[in-house]
Amino acid sequence: MIGNAPFFVVGLLFLGGLTAIFIEKNLIKIAIAIGIISSAVNLFLVALGYRAGGTAPIHFLAGERTVMVLPTPQAMTLTAIVISLATTAFLLSLIMLVYRHYGTLDVDEIRRLRG
Amino acid sequence: MNWNDHLPALLLMIPLFGAFAAPLVCLLGKTMRNVLLVGLSFVTLLVALLLWKSVLAGGIAVYVMGGESFNLTLPSGMALPIRIIMEVDAFSAFMVVCGSIASFAGALFSTNYMEKFTGLGRFVSLYFLLTLGMLGMMITGDFFNFFIFIEIASIASFGLVAFWRDRPEAIEASLKYTLVSQVGSMIFLIAAGALYGKYNALNIAAIGSLLQFGVMEKIALVFIIGTLAMKCGSFPMHMWLPDAYAEAPSGVSCLLVAVSQASLYGLMRVCFSLYGVNLGGSFIPWMIISMGLASMFFGVTMAVVQHEIKRLIGYHSVSQVGYMLLGLGVGLLVLTDAHGMAEYGFTAMKGGIFHIFNYTMYKGLLFLAAGAIYYATGKRDLNEMGGLARRMPFTTAMFVIAAAAISGLPPFNGFVSKLLIYESVFAVHPALTVVALLTSVLTLASFVKVFQTAFLGPEKSVFTGVREVPSGMLFGMGVLTLAVLGATLFPSWTLSNLVEPAAKALVDQAGYIGAVMGGGL
Amino acid sequence: MFGTVYTGFGYWDVTAWIVFFAIAAGLTLWLRAQGREDFKEGTDQDEIYWSGNPVPEDGAEISVPASSAYWGFRKAMEPFYKVLTGMHTGIGTDIVGFYVLTVAFMAVFILL
Repeated sequence: MIGNAPFFVVGLLFLGGLTAIFIEKNLIKIAIAIGIISSAVNLFLVALGYRAGGTAPIHFLAGERTVMVLPTPQAMTLTAIVISLATTAFLLSLIMLVYRHYGTLDVDEIRRLRG
Repeated sequence: MNWNDHLPALLLMIPLFGAFAAPLVCLLGKTMRNVLLVGLSFVTLLVALLLWKSVLAGGIAVYVMGGESFNLTLPSGMALPIRIIMEVDAFSAFMVVCGSIASFAGALFSTNYMEKFTGLGRFVSLYFLLTLGMLGMMITGDFFNFFIFIEIASIASFGLVAFWRDRPEAIEASLKYTLVSQVGSMIFLIAAGALYGKYNALNIAAIGSLLQFGVMEKIALVFIIGTLAMKCGSFPMHMWLPDAYAEAPSGVSCLLVAVSQASLYGLMRVCFSLYGVNLGGSFIPWMIISMGLASMFFGVTMAVVQHEIKRLIGYHSVSQVGYMLLGLGVGLLVLTDAHGMAEYGFTAMKGGIFHIFNYTMYKGLLFLAAGAIYYATGKRDLNEMGGLARRMPFTTAMFVIAAAAISGLPPFNGFVSKLLIYESVFAVHPALTVVALLTSVLTLASFVKVFQTAFLGPEKSVFTGVREVPSGMLFGMGVLTLAVLGATLFPSWTLSNLVEPAAKALVDQAGYIGAVMGGGL
Repeated sequence: MFGTVYTGFGYWDVTAWIVFFAIAAGLTLWLRAQGREDFKEGTDQDEIYWSGNPVPEDGAEISVPASSAYWGFRKAMEPFYKVLTGMHTGIGTDIVGFYVLTVAFMAVFILL
């Protein structure tokens, strides 16, 4: 049961982020919510590769090792972190430009393109 | 060393090199930048054609990135492939050809179209990154790698949609696309991680060979299908698409069409090659068919009432994607039923795949023609246009060809692929054909409106100074016109050389898996 | 020469279409050639007829804007379009909402 705790945290974080996207109106808060979702997914990947009692997956590490955690999810997580960093930075710069053009950060008011 | 073996890597290397060389080359001046943009796009197109030829001749091409040898998928003693593997079968090769033609035409068009603007070094960089992401999605055989290429393509397209950052609408369109796309790709990553957690593999072929259809696989499947259907713009997740297509510079809209086809490719790859016979019942095929029908009908009805030219064409993208979803969904429905497959399923798939080619060509052409109108007149609203046929004869001619092809008027290629779809899906239920025909009629209606209000009618005094667009733009449109006319005049050649191998490769799940899993030492 | 595409229930032949198109075009051009050529140039017979009124100089005064096209169709379908344009609110989070709802819908039904 306690081994599954990380996945419950992932679920809570993910749902929290998703809910925040819908109930928040401020674009900065929505960007934060998307960041929370990305963190939830990264946590999911890292938790996926964990093996009970495992050591770092370095082959030439000194000492006794019988179990290693999986290295691939960690590589995936690193990549996913870089990607979410890029999109978050991009999203924030877009929000900055939106504020310059529209004078508001309310997502309900940024709707010139509709219909 | 045989160059043919390294074509998959070369196909990705060339745009990647272009993306990072662009800021440097731009220091050398305008001509060098245009040479880089057009030249490397053309080389990419050549490599794509060579790759397609070698795949047709030699079967599925597998390329292991960073392996001791290019086709060593299973190093000694390994039960699962461990490195990043590119896998190009006939369907991927077909998509690569479509995508690189669109990329080349968009690049040729952009040389003249974008010359008035600054920051073109970044434009060229992003353009090549978008091409890279699109081609990578089409040839990768690795699930996580697919996610990375989706993200490369997405981030590049966010940047390109917002390229005219002085326009509030462009920023708004990019913001909406970023929001929905970011949530979508995170959900896609959950699915990829879940499949990895269960099967310890990321390779599509390896997962496909192990897959047992259980609860977790069902959840992963709907996550993947939802995200990729959103990315290719199917109803009701299409709202970002007309915004983004309308606000992007026209050369980019042309490429974005091909990028949405890459998402459709991923959707079909997952359904046919990853799940395939394990798809468990007819829910997912019917879901894809009904998304297709809804996209077709609601997309085109929204398009009829639009009056901004690129937004109208953007809504048509939604409805055209519906045809492919319909054709390929019917193929998926009868995947395990050999009789139905031979009777009508394979024809429906051929129609759907042929429509991918046709759609990429004529929709790219329509966007380029709309861009040419904007370049010449500075107007996007159809209400303010009129009588342009006198001033822009070449643009008009090419627009007519594209409009006739998208409306499915004989003898154009759009008619052939739609005919293949009509005459096969009615075997499942006649209502499917009725919706498809109705959509085709409404498509014609809305393009008659565009053609009549923009090109016909009396000449307006504000347009007396309008000239035909520069030759680079005409050549860009000409490339796509040639492709449309080629597919029109040689439908049986196109079908038997381009489309049929692709459809066969798509239904051949065992072949796709065997190329990786059976190719070891 | 160009080949025929068989759909399983019918076929499509682009050569036949082009032949029929050429025949029809020839027929149309022949009909057009039967018209009268004996009108007098420079008189009223040569003028554009616009309900007896003088033709405006600028075409903008007589062209029909695109928003007026298919007015009847839109009027007849107004309840339908009200729902459909009501769906396209243009709010960013609504787009995300439609996406999440669709995925949730599929997830619920595939598990049932």
